[in-house]
Amino acid sequence: MISFELNGQSVQTASDPSTPLLWVVRDSFKLKGSKFGCGSGLCGACTMHIDGVAVKTCITPLAAVTGKSVTTIEGLGTPNDLHPLQAAWHEHAVPQCGYCQSGQIMAAAALLDANPQPSGDEIDAAMAGNICRCGCYPRIKRAIESVSEQGLAYDAMMQTEGRA
Amino acid sequence: MNTVNVSRRRFLQSSTVAGGGLVIGFSLTSCSSTPAPLPMARAEGSWTPNAFLQVLPDNTIRFYTARSEMGQGVTTGLATLVGEELDVNPLDMEIRLAGVHEDYVNPDFGMQGTGGSTSIRAHYLQMRQVGANTRALILEAAAQDLDVSVASLATENGFVIHGESRRPYADFIATAQTLTIADDATLKPAAQFKYIGQETRRVDAIAKATGTAQFGIDVDVPGMHYAVVVRPPVARAKALSVNAAGAKGMPGVTDIFEVGTGVAVVAESFWQAKQAAAKVDVQWESLPLEAVNTGTLRRDYTAALDNGDGVEGPNEGDIEAAMQSATTTHEAEYWAPLLAHAPMEPMNAVVRIDGDEADVWTGIQFPSAVPGLVSRVADIPAENVRFHQTYLGGGFGRRGTPSHLVEATEIAKVTGKPIQLVWTREDDIQQGPFRPASLMRIKAGVDGDGTLTAWDAARAGADISPDTFRGLLPALYPWMGDGFVEGVANLSEWYFEKFATDEASTEGLFEDYDHPNTRVTHMTVDHELPMTFWRSVGHSYTAFAKESMIDELAEAAGMDAVAFRLQNTQNSPRLNNVIRVAGEQMAKMSPPEGHYLGFAAHHSFHTDVAEIAEVSVEGGKIRVHKVTCVLDCGQAVNPDIVRAQMEGGVIYGLTAALYGGLNLEKGAIKESNFHDYPMLRMDESPVIEVVIIDSGTAPTGVGEPGLPPIAPAVANAVYKATGQRLRSLPLQVA
Repeated sequence: MISFELNGQSVQTASDPSTPLLWVVRDSFKLKGSKFGCGSGLCGACTMHIDGVAVKTCITPLAAVTGKSVTTIEGLGTPNDLHPLQAAWHEHAVPQCGYCQSGQIMAAAALLDANPQPSGDEIDAAMAGNICRCGCYPRIKRAIESVSEQGLAYDAMMQTEGRA
Repeated sequence: MNTVNVSRRRFLQSSTVAGGGLVIGFSLTSCSSTPAPLPMARAEGSWTPNAFLQVLPDNTIRFYTARSEMGQGVTTGLATLVGEELDVNPLDMEIRLAGVHEDYVNPDFGMQGTGGSTSIRAHYLQMRQVGANTRALILEAAAQDLDVSVASLATENGFVIHGESRRPYADFIATAQTLTIADDATLKPAAQFKYIGQETRRVDAIAKATGTAQFGIDVDVPGMHYAVVVRPPVARAKALSVNAAGAKGMPGVTDIFEVGTGVAVVAESFWQAKQAAAKVDVQWESLPLEAVNTGTLRRDYTAALDNGDGVEGPNEGDIEAAMQSATTTHEAEYWAPLLAHAPMEPMNAVVRIDGDEADVWTGIQFPSAVPGLVSRVADIPAENVRFHQTYLGGGFGRRGTPSHLVEATEIAKVTGKPIQLVWTREDDIQQGPFRPASLMRIKAGVDGDGTLTAWDAARAGADISPDTFRGLLPALYPWMGDGFVEGVANLSEWYFEKFATDEASTEGLFEDYDHPNTRVTHMTVDHELPMTFWRSVGHSYTAFAKESMIDELAEAAGMDAVAFRLQNTQNSPRLNNVIRVAGEQMAKMSPPEGHYLGFAAHHSFHTDVAEIAEVSVEGGKIRVHKVTCVLDCGQAVNPDIVRAQMEGGVIYGLTAALYGGLNLEKGAIKESNFHDYPMLRMDESPVIEVVIIDSGTAPTGVGEPGLPPIAPAVANAVYKATGQRLRSLPLQVA
């Protein structure tokens, strides 16, 4: 049995400890927001937060999250309670096919948590691990910048909502 | 040789019409008269005036979108069209993805399919008519219920307004159901549009930003098992022997057996299936394709062009005489490699067979194919196949080939379990179907004042349509035996090889410029690799050849590249205007030191696009800093989505222009994943500015036309930066 925290809840699983976290979350816990894109840590569609850090979970064995806190896109915000980035994704009409966007948003959220007002180059560097075949990059960047511009307001909101 | 051109559209149309039964046009069945029930939710007390709309008692307006949403924004676009005339804000509608039904046919194809940048163009009037007819009926019902005249009523976002009273559409659905719907309610003039042409957001953005949008791979049904297929390295090879001893006892593994395309491994989880698949040892048969390496393609295409014995396409004027009398002639050869589509969501399908019924969940570009395919493979009646469309995690043409659905059905049939079949990324990159490689040779003549007089263009490579046809044929003609299907598929291959040009093979190679003397020749050279449509299809490579050649000719004639284009597109006024506007944009640009501008323009899918690429070359690396895209697509139903499609087309095209290329070694694709088949990432993505020309005409395509001009625009800029004419894709400076 491996225990960890998933979106704020303590969970246990009897899955093989070598199974990548992505598949445990998708197939055992039935949270389908995180996606399979490459299986080799090359595209970022599977990005989740492990103790607040963006990690590619298609190559992260379940054993590595023992006792840790895992956040998926479902834990970041919901349609009725959007994270500021999710609201910005709507406002800037970012998604096209949408398949990579959970991973994009998780990577962006980890970036802004660590660096609330990143430069353009810092955004590029932080997001370079996430592929989008529809070519949403200009909008992803604009949406991140729009949230970053509200930098202080964003910090305050994170704290009042206890999301940080 | 005969000169016949068969377009994708006509090809699909004639194939369906011959099959009988499908209706082309705007005629719609209604609930009561249609032989096949509409695949729509049954909501208590709701009203279903047609196959697209439902009004629920709580005034929820449901819109069933018949075109596949693969990112191009078609759910938003079609909801905008219907909402404009129904007078309901598209963002307030509940969007559903439609099942299979004859009312959902794409009028442009004569079957239920999404592709060819057709959706908004083909449904522009139809969807509006559906909305207008429905609104007219609601008003008639309201007039009866309120005992007032229709003329005294107005509507506002789902409400009927009479004086001070404001009542939801739903209040009148009981009466509406007793009335007959008209099919010719008056459409709004453009001046009254409230939603069309406005900067509305996307209807699917929140679902896609919160991980709640359901893709095929997210479907999970009780008892579902997961399958992967061990596939041959060389396309279409069959297994000679299978040793699964090492895989059989692995955790969760339930079944291992041969299917048409390889060896299926079924387990309780995807990961278990994938692990076990790696332990299955298969000896594959040897095929002639094993003799093919990367260099073989270009060598064989070169030989075919040298030989000159192809199928003649358009042949106008006297090409030989025109070349002789031209002041300047120039000839060059251009290469485009084999490509994979690599949509972010790998191919997958869920199939559950229960007795003589089946449920299918997948995101697919050609839903019409689903009942026929599943019926044939599972041996159950087609009308017992229920198709559940999902969002498509990228399409780009790839999701028009349903071979993964055949596999999932085979596996569900054999195991008796609900099956989710998932392709790995390696399967996706290596198995195709692919965008064919192409070798194009163009010779052109220009007279003393810079007028193009002669254009002699040839293309060698594999055809695109026959393989796609082969995949859809068994679905569209369930009554044909397997042998008959194979025979017809072979016939179509022969037809394009010997008799007619597959329009997809040469489209875009010769149409845009005014040259009175034109000759187009096509050489089909088929190495038996599977092929299909890839975003912008033939234009994805012909634009590179044509627009590079035009740049070279302008230089040879001593003319400015934009002026040369303007002078030689007098017969294509819309393209000419796009070139003019883009040329004015370029004239105003002052790129920083070391940055160079390249220009290209192309007409595809009824839309005209010009692009200007700002490029630098540093340390042998091509860097694209900015792209300005000018287009005329007629009425932009949602200008922001038009911009997004241009941005996406440019980036998809740039990935191909800078990196794209699959290599063959003994008939097998060498690349396997994103480490060796790289994609453009954010840090390499240019700033993209889109200028939409408002020409006030009906809408034309936007999903694909942004792509073709980008590779030549970059190549033309690289020439200015380095003096090197790069005539092979991907672009690499020496």
